[in-house]
Amino acid sequence: MKISRLFGRVFYGTTGFAASSPLLLLLLIGGVLLYDAWPAWEYQGWSFFTGISWNMGNMYASGAVTHHGVQAAPGASFGILPFIVGTLGSSLIALVIAVPIAVLTAFGLVYKVPVRASAILSPVIELLAGIPSVVYGLWGLAVLAPFVQNGLGPLLAHLGRIIPYLAGPVGTGLGMLTSGLVLAVMITPVMIAATRDLLMQVPRLPVEGALALGLTSAESVRYVSLPYVRRGVFGAIILAWGRALGETMAVLMISGNANNYLPPNLYSPISTMASTIAALLDSALTDFTGMAVHALALIAFTLLLIAIITNLLARVLLQFGHSEASVEV
Amino acid sequence: MAMQSMMQPGSSSPYVVSNRRAKMRQLQSRLLWAATWVALSLVVLVIGDILWLVVSKGMHGLSVTTFTTDTAGVAGGLQNAILGTLSLIGLSLLIAGPLGIFAGIYLALFARARVATAMRFANDVLAGVPSIVLGYCGYTMMVEKWGWGFSVLAGAITLSVLTLPYIVRMTEASLRQLPKAYMEGALALGLSPASALRTILFRPALPGILTGLLLAVSIGVGETAPLIYTAGWSNFNPAMHLLKSPIGYLTYVVWTYLNEPYAAAHQLAYTAAFLLILLVLLLHIGVRFLQRGTRTSE
Amino acid sequence: MKKTTKGALLAVAATLSVSVIALGQGQGQSAHTMAQSAAHQAKSASKAIDLQETGSTLLWPLFQLWVPAYKHVASNVFLTPSGTGSGVGIAEATQGVVQIGASDAYMSSGQLAQTPGMLNIPLAISAQQIMYKIPGIKASTHLHLTGNVIALMYMGKIKYWNAPQVQRLNKGLKLPHLAIVPIHRHDGSGDTFLFTQFMTDTNAAWANPTTGVGYGTSVSWPAVPGALDGVGNSGVVQIAARTPGSIAYVGISWLNNALKDGMGEAMLQNRAGRFLLPDHATISAAADKMTAKTPRDERISLIYAPGPNSYPIINYEYAIVKETQANVQTASAVKNLLLWAISPKGGNQASFMGQVHFLPLPASIFPLSKAQIEKIH
Repeated sequence: MKISRLFGRVFYGTTGFAASSPLLLLLLIGGVLLYDAWPAWEYQGWSFFTGISWNMGNMYASGAVTHHGVQAAPGASFGILPFIVGTLGSSLIALVIAVPIAVLTAFGLVYKVPVRASAILSPVIELLAGIPSVVYGLWGLAVLAPFVQNGLGPLLAHLGRIIPYLAGPVGTGLGMLTSGLVLAVMITPVMIAATRDLLMQVPRLPVEGALALGLTSAESVRYVSLPYVRRGVFGAIILAWGRALGETMAVLMISGNANNYLPPNLYSPISTMASTIAALLDSALTDFTGMAVHALALIAFTLLLIAIITNLLARVLLQFGHSEASVEV
Repeated sequence: MAMQSMMQPGSSSPYVVSNRRAKMRQLQSRLLWAATWVALSLVVLVIGDILWLVVSKGMHGLSVTTFTTDTAGVAGGLQNAILGTLSLIGLSLLIAGPLGIFAGIYLALFARARVATAMRFANDVLAGVPSIVLGYCGYTMMVEKWGWGFSVLAGAITLSVLTLPYIVRMTEASLRQLPKAYMEGALALGLSPASALRTILFRPALPGILTGLLLAVSIGVGETAPLIYTAGWSNFNPAMHLLKSPIGYLTYVVWTYLNEPYAAAHQLAYTAAFLLILLVLLLHIGVRFLQRGTRTSE
Repeated sequence: MKKTTKGALLAVAATLSVSVIALGQGQGQSAHTMAQSAAHQAKSASKAIDLQETGSTLLWPLFQLWVPAYKHVASNVFLTPSGTGSGVGIAEATQGVVQIGASDAYMSSGQLAQTPGMLNIPLAISAQQIMYKIPGIKASTHLHLTGNVIALMYMGKIKYWNAPQVQRLNKGLKLPHLAIVPIHRHDGSGDTFLFTQFMTDTNAAWANPTTGVGYGTSVSWPAVPGALDGVGNSGVVQIAARTPGSIAYVGISWLNNALKDGMGEAMLQNRAGRFLLPDHATISAAADKMTAKTPRDERISLIYAPGPNSYPIINYEYAIVKETQANVQTASAVKNLLLWAISPKGGNQASFMGQVHFLPLPASIFPLSKAQIEKIH
């Protein structure tokens, strides 16, 4: 009896420690990043987020300069606005494309596709969510970039007279539009799965009631199912957005990796915050003052904050997801 | 599923009185469903295209030597990358597996509601942290500060942090979906929670827990960004050293060999991509299989 | 019903155990380890040693040739070269993550002050060419370009290939009205270092210490909308070849690839005003003028040499090595490898050098490099 009680205590303690490990890891990561990033914050301040030029400074100068008490190479300045714009631009393109497609597909899977076909399609779509991001990058490079360069890009550029941002030159197909499209493909399956699961939870009675009242099937979906899942879908969208914001490899392969300017049109090469860390860590390590690495740590810390915020938002939305099923006609 | 059959016969209710407004509404309904079909076929088209590209190009690079020789220069086989991926995954599973399962158990059985909410939130955030951020931390801490160099252990630990949340989530979910009576009955019989878990709850929850592990493996297999700066890359098969000895992995081949201007290098990248998709596919089949098992046993 | 669960469990257990076995084999009986033990038996005195080389993508093709050849010299040394850019080479060698960093650029004084005890050892002489993709210009036609004009292109001041400044240099050639797309290296790169040094030498605005771009393995590129970045020489060749109107700087070991991909090679104006292609004669002419000034630590730029036949962009290919290695075995393995690499009968023989268009280390420089290698312990 005594031994089993001791075992119980140890078990309780071990599992408790294990359960707090994600929190501890998060704190550790946050702490490490903050510690690494602090000098860059002192050096650059708010201009870190508003500056356009990323310049490690003159590496072959004879010595470092001291600014706000921290050392950097002469001429160094770290502004990440182009990366922020690239990140937001590409991820918003992804959302604009993926949200309607994913929501419609989920509705189709739940209400229209024959059960058997759905039983095949659903796992295939889940498989799509599991494909490595480098494979998406591969596809983007081999298929999508030429398609944007020769097909979609020139087509959209015709609209340039109405919406100036769509005007050419289209360039090589490596850039914001292609990145957004690949991100859209990457987040669509996640959103389909989430929306489908939410729709499965919609109680049958109200939908049946709506049909009995003479609503068309589309109307019953619009006025009964959709309000029921709306907040949940928003939560899923925000989580997917978070994923698009943090995607690294696929974007690194197809974004064109632009530096030091804001994208003048939809097809322009860009860099995102996440892809910048992967691409520039190497060269940042050659900065003998270490400031470039601190600046990258600050980008990483910003991404961590974004992850926390998007999760908070999604949690709030998902938690109240089922509470409101009002019909507004 | 009842809804399915209910809505199947026509796109509108049969009780609508025929008039112009009704026709408009029917048209709207048709349009919505048409849009749905367009979206659905677009998704299928894209999936098909990705799979077709990788399978058609990757397949004919596949031969016995792919598995028996190492990468050399811009060509060669993938033995080192395959074994490296397996080592990284295996080791990360050894770390994240027990940790995640224990955490899931605590969340499902012991934690008070508020504590559980906080822990679950931390877990979700950890799952949402961009993988390159984990890679950065792994590099500055393990590779540099602790002097491990590019190593299997640094890569595997980084992967563990990445996959841990999924294992926690699945373990908790699979324990929670068991009928409450299981646990209550066991406690009423005087069993401690720990032994109740061991003797009664663990078995029915096992398929779900294994699903979580497989999911974690499939996520780990596909990662690149956190490994570049922790595991490095090696042209040779993994040696027995945990530290200071870099290791190869499949995703690296896809990423870098596509950059080389040689046809042989491109072929190797496609072959690696094909193997990756095959691996993920097998893992997903495994997951399906396990899920079916749980459903029928209920 | 129970049966299915059991079946599922069995199957999972089977898969897991298979993968565990595969793992065990991967770690226990890998070809590597077997080769190691074989090597162990063959040379009972020497233990198997892992060496990592990383850095310059310009030097990487040469290492690819060296690795199989060196297997015959020392079968117990397992060398993995990777082309990651000179920036990584310098960073990871100073960090002690790899034993040998490869770089087309020597370390800056700032870096050396930060991490003393680093050696910059020239292994060979290489060059860099300027390449372009202009549809309609034949491969046999080599565009004439000056450093100044290239700098203006990279600063976005010259926007089209038929701009008067370019046309003036190429009388009689019909250049298209095609937008110029400058291609840079995204990673920290020795090629960037060489290219930006040449720009600094030929364009005053570029050289301006406060407002100019200056030189380095990573620089802050002037904002030219549409400009693209590639990772490594390989990435640059890939992107430049698929981009009509592109201009790119490419290390000479990648010349064959770039030409095969339909890129054109420019004749560059040297200090004496003549337009030249990089070949054995023009590279050695430039080397003759510059190498005599090589200091003891061998950190020197060979860019923009005087002399009528000197090609303007040549450089030493460096091995960046820590003087103090982790242990005696590693130190001697690194030492032996590098001594073999610079030896005219070893890595510096013409059969290797010719394939990547490098020049062997001049006889006057060999003792300097050798003396530095001897410092490794």
